[in-house]
Amino acid sequence: MSRIKPLWWVLIIACVALFPMTLGGMSPYRCGILVLAGIYVILAVSLDLLMGYTGQISVGHAAFFAIGAYVSGILTTSHGAAPLPAMIAGMVLAAAVAWIVGRPLLKLKEYYLAMATLALNVVVVTLIVGLQRLTGGASGLKDIPSFSLLGIGFDNQVRYYYVVWSAVALVVLISLTVVRSPFGRTLLAIHSDETAARTFGIDCARYKVRVYVLSAVFASLAGSLFAHYMNFLAPDDFGVDTSINILVMLFLGGIGTVFGPVLGALFMKILHEVTYGFQDYEMFINGAVLILVLLFMPKGLYGVVSAIGRRLSARRSP
Amino acid sequence: MAGADTSQFLQFLFSGLTAGSIYALIAVSLVIVYKVSLLICFAQGEFFVIGALTMVTLVSKGVPMPLAFPIAVVVTAALGAVAERVLIRPLRNSGVGTLIVMTVAISLTLRGSAMLIWGKESHVLPPFSSSHPIGILGATLQAQVLWIVGITCVVLAAIWLFFEKTALGIAVRACAENPLGASLMGISTGKATLFSWAWGSAIGALAGCAVSPLLFMQYTSGVMPMVKGFIAMSIGGLASIAGAVVAGYLLGIAEAYAIGLVSSQFSDSLVFTILILVLLLRPNGLFGGAKRRDV
Repeated sequence: MSRIKPLWWVLIIACVALFPMTLGGMSPYRCGILVLAGIYVILAVSLDLLMGYTGQISVGHAAFFAIGAYVSGILTTSHGAAPLPAMIAGMVLAAAVAWIVGRPLLKLKEYYLAMATLALNVVVVTLIVGLQRLTGGASGLKDIPSFSLLGIGFDNQVRYYYVVWSAVALVVLISLTVVRSPFGRTLLAIHSDETAARTFGIDCARYKVRVYVLSAVFASLAGSLFAHYMNFLAPDDFGVDTSINILVMLFLGGIGTVFGPVLGALFMKILHEVTYGFQDYEMFINGAVLILVLLFMPKGLYGVVSAIGRRLSARRSP
Repeated sequence: MAGADTSQFLQFLFSGLTAGSIYALIAVSLVIVYKVSLLICFAQGEFFVIGALTMVTLVSKGVPMPLAFPIAVVVTAALGAVAERVLIRPLRNSGVGTLIVMTVAISLTLRGSAMLIWGKESHVLPPFSSSHPIGILGATLQAQVLWIVGITCVVLAAIWLFFEKTALGIAVRACAENPLGASLMGISTGKATLFSWAWGSAIGALAGCAVSPLLFMQYTSGVMPMVKGFIAMSIGGLASIAGAVVAGYLLGIAEAYAIGLVSSQFSDSLVFTILILVLLLRPNGLFGGAKRRDV
């Protein structure tokens, strides 16, 4: 994909920045939806680095989401830590777990990798339920303070919206830099043919672990943001279903592009809000969306959008 | 556990046998699909649940049990065949990653539909025969456990006979060994794949029906059996039916003792740690030989 023109960048950033004042109408409810959507955007983009660029399937990304959320939650409630240091602690722990687990785990391929990542997710959730004294167990972790930085509280949705979307911007920026760097091209090489990459002298295992750590750190960041927004955590928020929902967003948006997962996460989150009255249908809708995308729209929403864009510019240029 | 006497150990063995039968059957259903199409279907657990819940509904509508059982199995088999034909076949030339995600999507859709049809509550089936538990050395054995183990044995025998003795079974095996060679001999690999899906989901449903008098079935009940069936399958070496059966029973029994003697809270963590260890140490399974991979 070619680079997006500077004008588009300005436009996108302006839309995001002006949303609360215009469409959001300073409405806490609408900003709240977009806070959650932003958190899922981070998750989907981080999973894409692993799956879309490096070709390593993961059905357990919510494990790192959980680590970030619970480290933030535990440190700020029972240890009186400030949100930012707690968030950083979460990212460090997520990175450490990803680094330790990553090397052996990413040796696996295809089904084995899918199942092992799923197993990792289940292990994390059972540990959360089991370590009741630390995590509140199945009944959840209560009274997590809202986000604050340098004495400024971000306890209302509109303010927190800016925190979350700044984080989204940061994650998107880092991801774009990463995928366009030599490191990113190495990841693509591993994706298309690991054996060939190895014959060119690429230490595949090392690169895979690095991208795994990076995507775990992003997921952990999303978890911390989630904890301070919900003020309450329960193990159910981090199960395999959550991991699968992230997969749905990723494929819907368009795997292997940075902007695709952004679109996918926004679309799914808003769709769920619009169809809130039919909450029982959520699982069915998710599955059906994923099936339809796989069958008829393999490049996802981003593919459709960029095809329209190409057609428009082709009409203009000659 | 000083008080853990023979009766208690026997009790754990019985619950291990029950769980082991489920894991073995689901592992076998996964192996059958895998043998023919080199695909592992993440929706296998949903076939297990849908089979069971269909039977619950039929029985509650007054259909006699000996009739409800085969109907539920056939309905689920048809569902599996349709899924293969409509959703998997169009993707057969895409990468493994896409296929995995497609089976995840099928699983999600089926689970979502099961919730819409049967709600979020649990359902239970009356036992197949009079429910007087049998006492053996102080432990109690539910009659249903005998049914489950019996059905498992019959199914396994039938599978063995099919693959070893019938022309159709040999043809299906040929597709697994060498799809191109098989198709040159006039065997339709497409039909064989369809057939294996139908059969795989039928066995899943069978396991679900057999166990539903003991388990409270709910739309999410298929997730863990599926994962544990997969664990058994990978311990057994992916393509080996015998390996899958042995591993399924070992896993069920190990888990029952872990729950009984250690803790029920962490038993899942234990099982998954076993999975990760097996995957790392013996990637071809405890019973599978080393496999060469062509570049």
